[in-house]
Amino acid sequence: MSLPPKLQEIVDDFAGMSREEKIETLIGYAESLPTLPERFAEERAKMEPIPECMTPVFLFGEKQDDGGVIFHFDIPPQSPTVQGLACILASGLNGSKPAEILAVPADFFAPMNLEEAISGQRLNGFRGVLAHMKQTAVNLMNGK
Amino acid sequence: MSYAHPEYLVDTEWVANHLNDATVRIIESDEDPLLYPMGHIPGAVQVDWFSTLQHPVRRDFVTKEQFAEMCSKLGIANDTTVVFYGDKSNWFACYALWLFEYYGHKNVKIMNGGRAKWEQEKRPLVRETPSYARTAYSAKDADKSIRAFRDEVLVHSNAKKALVDVRSPKEYSGEMLHMPNYPQEGATRGGHIPAAVSIPWSQAVNEADATFKTTEELVALYEGKNITADGEVIAYCRIGERSSLTWFVLKYLLGYPNVKNYDGSWTEWGNLVDAPIEK
Repeated sequence: MSLPPKLQEIVDDFAGMSREEKIETLIGYAESLPTLPERFAEERAKMEPIPECMTPVFLFGEKQDDGGVIFHFDIPPQSPTVQGLACILASGLNGSKPAEILAVPADFFAPMNLEEAISGQRLNGFRGVLAHMKQTAVNLMNGK
Repeated sequence: MSYAHPEYLVDTEWVANHLNDATVRIIESDEDPLLYPMGHIPGAVQVDWFSTLQHPVRRDFVTKEQFAEMCSKLGIANDTTVVFYGDKSNWFACYALWLFEYYGHKNVKIMNGGRAKWEQEKRPLVRETPSYARTAYSAKDADKSIRAFRDEVLVHSNAKKALVDVRSPKEYSGEMLHMPNYPQEGATRGGHIPAAVSIPWSQAVNEADATFKTTEELVALYEGKNITADGEVIAYCRIGERSSLTWFVLKYLLGYPNVKNYDGSWTEWGNLVDAPIEK
């Protein structure tokens, strides 16, 4: 199954970039990650922060009337790489149906060749955030 | 009571006053690789713990020759004073400092408080990457006295010598194998090296501004867990970065003469066939 068009477009864009362009573009995504809408503040306060030292990622999903899912993130500005990767996922997947989100392969980003710009180990966070998004989509599908 | 080797620390004000000092090179070393290009201390260069400091093929650090080449490119001479700072309470700054010492660079320092404190004080950050004239750098042979390998860690553990596990309590207890979202950096088994005591790295720094705690606080922290100056101490974490902060604290802030960082850490030990593990 193919990727949602917006995500495919981002993947294709990155595939053709130089290392410097990748870094600049990632920074652009990091800087354009929207702040968490105020309506999630209460839920956010109730959530357990991830009990670890690396980046705490808070993720919220909202189901639209047409069944599409919109994701919102709360990620500290001290972690722009994670912000950037999350923003790519949100930009590429917001509005997609849960089934489309679940169909995104865990290694969809391989053609982006991000290893040039950020180390491969950091891309594990990419997989992690995508896995969280899929879980959130499943929960919304099941009415949780 | 001052630190044992206060010359290994400088404050943000010192750095601000040495931005144009040709005998000083400021190096940013972060967990997050985008922080430097988004804004760094004027004149600072970047090293990346993965792409710059690690061997491109093997699980090891760059070779002596590769290290020398890196220093030459960054305009670092053998007598340059190198000041490290970074994110996450200077984890990766300490990691880079440790590697510079490993290859014999003298005159290394940590900027106390790292990026966090510099930002809190609203000091300038710039996006321009500086370039410096190439130097002729000659690295020394690796100083194995500050680096522990698995075989000696086993001997150390069997002898019940001082071993500090600086990971979070849940990683120490084996409830958690890896940090959430970092599954590939995990190990197949959870727990800790027998005889290791748990002293999370974060207890050595102040949460508010990422500076190190006072000598009195640090003495209480480590001596309270029987990690004392008179023996050999080995520190480890998951990949050796958090433990290099603890290594720095024990060696230079408290002055312990014999401290090693086990950079193989849990991602080696927890995957090692036949290695003893306690839970």
